[in-house]
Amino acid sequence: MSIEVTNVTKKYGDFYALDDVSVSLPTGQLTALLGPSGGGKSTLLRIIAGLDTADSGSVAIEGTNATKLPPQKRNVGFVFQHYAVFKHMTVAKNVAFGLEIRKTPKAEVKRRVGELLELVHLSQFADRLPSQLSGGQRQRMALARALAVEPTVLLLDEPFGALDAKVRKELREWLRRLHDEVHVTTVFVTHDQEEAMEVADEIVVINQGRVEQVGSPDQLYDEPASDFVMGFLGEVTRLGPVRLRPHDVDVVVEPGRSGSFPGTVTRMLRVGFEVRLQVELDPEFSRGDEPVSVVLSRGHARALDIELGSKVWLSAAVGAVTVPAMVAV
Amino acid sequence: MLVPLTAIVATSAGRGWSGYIDTLTNPQTMAAIQLTVGQAALVTGLNVVMGTLIAWVLVRDRFWGKRILDVVIDIPFALPTIVAGLVLLGLYGNGSPIGLDWAYTERAVMLALAFVTLPFIVRTVQPVLEELDHDVEEAAASLGAKRLTIFRRIILPSLVPAITAGAALAFARAIAEYGSLVLLSGNKPFSTEVVSVRVLSFIENGSTESAAAVASLMLAVALVVIVLLDIVQRRVSRRG
Repeated sequence: MSIEVTNVTKKYGDFYALDDVSVSLPTGQLTALLGPSGGGKSTLLRIIAGLDTADSGSVAIEGTNATKLPPQKRNVGFVFQHYAVFKHMTVAKNVAFGLEIRKTPKAEVKRRVGELLELVHLSQFADRLPSQLSGGQRQRMALARALAVEPTVLLLDEPFGALDAKVRKELREWLRRLHDEVHVTTVFVTHDQEEAMEVADEIVVINQGRVEQVGSPDQLYDEPASDFVMGFLGEVTRLGPVRLRPHDVDVVVEPGRSGSFPGTVTRMLRVGFEVRLQVELDPEFSRGDEPVSVVLSRGHARALDIELGSKVWLSAAVGAVTVPAMVAV
Repeated sequence: MLVPLTAIVATSAGRGWSGYIDTLTNPQTMAAIQLTVGQAALVTGLNVVMGTLIAWVLVRDRFWGKRILDVVIDIPFALPTIVAGLVLLGLYGNGSPIGLDWAYTERAVMLALAFVTLPFIVRTVQPVLEELDHDVEEAAASLGAKRLTIFRRIILPSLVPAITAGAALAFARAIAEYGSLVLLSGNKPFSTEVVSVRVLSFIENGSTESAAAVASLMLAVALVVIVLLDIVQRRVSRRG
């Protein structure tokens, strides 16, 4: 295990940013810390980097206890949301910074900087100042700067958060490819579940200072450990005693299977190949709950001949992922 | 702005080139110029260090009475200079309550100049320091830079434009200062007489041309210093 976080707690006044968090992050993988804003994921990343200190608990990096080490000695690369460029230095100087601190011979620095700029596709911008680069380019420069010192782990704090949607999507694909080339253990923080699912080998879901679940993107989606994880990773709806994904609701137009819930279609919306329904359950089943959301394929909806006001019976599909619905969500 | 400057130069030419040179090479005038420029440079240097330090403390440290200190810094700006002179005379003059009788010495000149120029660098550096992105320092730290290296290579280059701007203002104020030092320095020729006092006495003696000649030289000195500071600023903030 490359990073071992054990029983880490961090409080700001009365507020628990992290509450007895333990997590192991494997070597060579790309791990996402996923969770809502203010959930503690950035705090955890900063504690791993040594930029914040934990109130209690320990952090080990590649087997070395790093709990008391200052950031300078941890050999981690850190990338910030707002790039944190050294704005008075050229792109090449920025990347060279860590190497110069380590008193690397000049020729070696030059060679390494050349390689890294090549890697992040910024070779032709070597002599520019960061202010002459776009946001995406600045972040790639920051990444090259962090990689220059050959860190044991690379930590990225919402690295694409300040970029517009299109660049964000490009950069996340690029990060995945880069990781496949460089293979440095990488941890990145995000609140965007799509970003985490698309890029990461493993996802750690953090909410309210606690780890909710650790697993591969498929595991998290298919076997969510809690209501929160299920809700955070995709749409959910409630059908009687369970919560499940809208596309996992089976729809029939006559009473058949036992345990199915009768209701009436109150809204119908076609979006591309999908048909989204809102079904108001009959009063004896709904108990004042929200209407149930259902997603069908267009063909399926046509075959069932569903329209606004149709009477339908709903049940959880066979093999559907469900979690018990909590009262008063 | 250029009209009065041109007028000064024109007036100073009134007695011809030799008259101009004579005025400036007069030993008493030379001594005054040397004292003023020398002390102004010294005080500016002192301010560069102390002003930056005070600004740093005001922005980065937390201590009791910080707000009061923040206000106190501005007092030399607010105080009429002759009042400042009176205050300094009370403190460092004859029968000083702290036992430092520095009146009528070169030290008195420096003291007065230091007093009135203190806020310049503090007030130019402080806002820049406040705006400085903390991420940048953390980035440097995680790349292995120690605190001193971070200050020298990351923070200082961002502060240099503000420091030089403050230094130029402080220097300009120092070579022009009159009110705060006339009382404390005693205006002794060859010892504590500064240029502004010298210019005044030229005018009182009806020798406007001589006054203008000295004034035009000071103008040149101010220009040279501003240009020099600008060059320094460019050098340092480039180097990184």
